[in-house]
Amino acid sequence: MNKKTIISASDDIVFNLKVLAKEKENIRRKLAVTAKEKERATRAITNVLEDLKIKEESLIEINAKEEAILLSIGEGLLATDEKGNIILINKIGEELLGVKSKEIMGKIFFGVIPIEDEKGVSIPPQKHPISMVLETGNATAISTYYYVRKDKTRFPMAIAVAPIVLDFKIIGTIKVFRDITREKEIDKAKSEFVSLASHQLRTPLTSISWYTEMILKGDVGQVTSDQKKYLEEIYQGNQRMIELVNTLLDVSRIELGTFKIESRPTDIIKLAESVLNEQKVEIEKNNLIITENFSKNVPIFSTDPKLLRMVFQNLLSNAVAYTPINGKIEFAISFDGKETVRIKVSDTGYGIPKNQQNQIFTKLFRADNIRDKDVDGTGLGLYIVKSIVKNSGGEIWFESEENKGTTFYVSLPSAEMKEKKKKDTT
Amino acid sequence: MNDSKDNKRILVIEDDTPLRKVLHDKFILEGFHVLEAKDGEEGLATALSERPDLILLDIVMPQMDGITMMKELRQKNEWGKNVPIILLTNLSADDEKINRAIADNAPAYYLVKSSYTINDLVEKIKERLS
Repeated sequence: MNKKTIISASDDIVFNLKVLAKEKENIRRKLAVTAKEKERATRAITNVLEDLKIKEESLIEINAKEEAILLSIGEGLLATDEKGNIILINKIGEELLGVKSKEIMGKIFFGVIPIEDEKGVSIPPQKHPISMVLETGNATAISTYYYVRKDKTRFPMAIAVAPIVLDFKIIGTIKVFRDITREKEIDKAKSEFVSLASHQLRTPLTSISWYTEMILKGDVGQVTSDQKKYLEEIYQGNQRMIELVNTLLDVSRIELGTFKIESRPTDIIKLAESVLNEQKVEIEKNNLIITENFSKNVPIFSTDPKLLRMVFQNLLSNAVAYTPINGKIEFAISFDGKETVRIKVSDTGYGIPKNQQNQIFTKLFRADNIRDKDVDGTGLGLYIVKSIVKNSGGEIWFESEENKGTTFYVSLPSAEMKEKKKKDTT
Repeated sequence: MNDSKDNKRILVIEDDTPLRKVLHDKFILEGFHVLEAKDGEEGLATALSERPDLILLDIVMPQMDGITMMKELRQKNEWGKNVPIILLTNLSADDEKINRAIADNAPAYYLVKSSYTINDLVEKIKERLS
């Protein structure tokens, strides 16, 4: 090997070594990049995991919060599944019912929540609000039932039950309830006060009425025609007070539940005619045309004549009071051939505004359109009528258009029929 | 005015003075003889000593209330058992206690004062006395 050859070979080696070094450097760089990428990937995964964990934690927290919100509601809360088995009760619910969540979970509701009506007649499972909601799918609210505790004491309960709907399917019910003993007591005290005050009011009103009547009759000397006019105003004003007191007494009796329904065979047509007769003066004064449509087949009917008279009086006097001069009133009574009497009182009067029609049976409510007309009213008449009709097992409804007129319909079952119905349902 | 109405005698038992007075004046005008008492106790004594033809009896009164007085009178003697009594009150007719008292103490009737004109009341009395 000559020197030249050796130099050339070493050059080759050097060259090769340089190439190798470059490649090594390349690999090193690549490795560094890969490591960086790996680190980044790891960090990314960790981040995702962390995010997930945070999400999960917050979900758990939200769930817990929602449950806490649900369970902390200041009223009794109870939920059932679609079969009526209890799946949830909150603390207040436990306290109100005097039960422990553990004891009642998964149990059918009616064994756990026995309720009865005011008179102590227990409500059968199928009439229980929860059953009704499961059956009809409509929310319901009722405040006339009493919950019976294990020790047989009871308290009045306001109950609101709604269906739990998921994907258009009822998957259960949720019931909110509370003790309304205090509300009931206040209501009773109020009614008792009205009753007492009204009785006290009647004595001086009677004095005014009788003395004025005697003066007007000339029992204590002649009165001039001017004096007579004034005295008549006093007398009429006093009569209105007497009627108002009577109405208040009726309302308090309805609310105290001291209204005794005393049914007896009643000639409804005769009763209707006598009420019409009472209104005659007003009818003639306003030149109203009355049409009587009393069916021939209306039998002697078992009902409370005192209460039915009040229904007639209120519906008719409303028609008379709220129909302008020269208007028409129809008073119709018919019989379905079995056990129900239908009453219809229609007028061509002021009507009830559409947006207030849902309030018309509310106590003390008077529609806006008659407030500014010079017509007396207490806002109690239809409330009384509705209470009587409801207590008699009947129904009342109406159609009305402003400035065209109003028609009231009442369907009234005979007293025997009502008793029978009551027996069937309990 | 008309004293010839056999001088039928009415006992008015009523604690409210204005009412007692107006009834007195009206009945005199109608030709009745009127006796008055302010409470059940006084009323019972007057009834037993005077034996009126008819008694108008308020229910809510001090000393002795009308229902108690009626029961006592009915038990006292034969006259007390049969004298017609009109309970004149402002209590309501669906009061079971009153209804029972009326049924148990015939001949007894019942009027709500504020629902009656004084004229209708006189008619009612004449009806009972005839």
